[in-house]
Amino acid sequence: MPSTSDTHALTMLVRKLESIAILSDEERQAILNLPAKTRVLQPGQDIVHDGDKPSQCCLILKGWACRYKIIGEGKRQILSFHIAGDVPDLQSLHIHTMDHSLATLTEATVAFIPHDNLRELIAQHPGIAAAFWRDTLVDAAIFREWLIGMGRRSAYEHMAHLFCELYLKLQAVGLAGSYCCPLPITQVDLADALGLTNVHVNRVLKQMREQSLITLRGHTLVIEAWDELSQVSEFDPTYLHLEKRAAA
Amino acid sequence: MSLRLQPIRVRTGSTDAESQLVFENGSLVAVLTHLSDEYGDEAGMWFLEAGFGPLDDPYPPKFADLDEAQDWITRKLAAFPAHGAAGGAP
Repeated sequence: MPSTSDTHALTMLVRKLESIAILSDEERQAILNLPAKTRVLQPGQDIVHDGDKPSQCCLILKGWACRYKIIGEGKRQILSFHIAGDVPDLQSLHIHTMDHSLATLTEATVAFIPHDNLRELIAQHPGIAAAFWRDTLVDAAIFREWLIGMGRRSAYEHMAHLFCELYLKLQAVGLAGSYCCPLPITQVDLADALGLTNVHVNRVLKQMREQSLITLRGHTLVIEAWDELSQVSEFDPTYLHLEKRAAA
Repeated sequence: MSLRLQPIRVRTGSTDAESQLVFENGSLVAVLTHLSDEYGDEAGMWFLEAGFGPLDDPYPPKFADLDEAQDWITRKLAAFPAHGAAGGAP
């Protein structure tokens, strides 16, 4: 049987899946019964490397992580940000060799769930398999939006779009509200995610602050003008496919 | 190869930035921007605001001073001698 803290860990997974799908009581209980080994990781620590063949999946419980690739001369492209409840390497269940790396951006608590147990879970509960599948499809939808941002949006629009996305993702799992959310990452992290330099990130943030669209206090982002921020970036939350979206 | 610099102000955002146009044989090849105090540790560095032809870079570099910037530009241009050479230049 899982310990109390492990049950808490798996509650995060239930909450995440319930933000994008509907689970029955039986399915919820089956997830809570999964074995999970919890670990606390330092910022900037790799969880899985490009080329690894993992035998477990990583559930983020606290803190932020990212998927990334390193290209020539050490240039880093961040592919996605991950928060509590996400299983960023879920694909390793079916695609055995990692084609990118996963690392923490902040101090993070993560839980590892063995592939064997996840396979057994989805074999016995097709509804959970469907929820995981839906999660990876939403993941792909987010990648499509990032691709548009990278190729066709200005730095300003791209960053505004990312802020709207992060806010709604955090809100969906109860980590944000009243247009206020944690943003515990650096300008370099933002630059590496947006395909910009930190010089451009600095300029865009300054411009957004001067226009009173956002406030950044420590590691907290306050969206002061949601309508303007979402309009300027043509943000349409449909691609997040959130089942339970609290009124924004 | 000799480079020529020409000071200019560039409207990079809400404020104008002290910048340099960089010419090679009369052609504009790059714009360098001096990073102001608001860039923290990187204040005082020169940023490749724009690079043309072989100097176009999706991950534009920063340089400690103008000499370092010009060395980088010279190296890059030398690696692609035919690329973007102005037609009609002697």
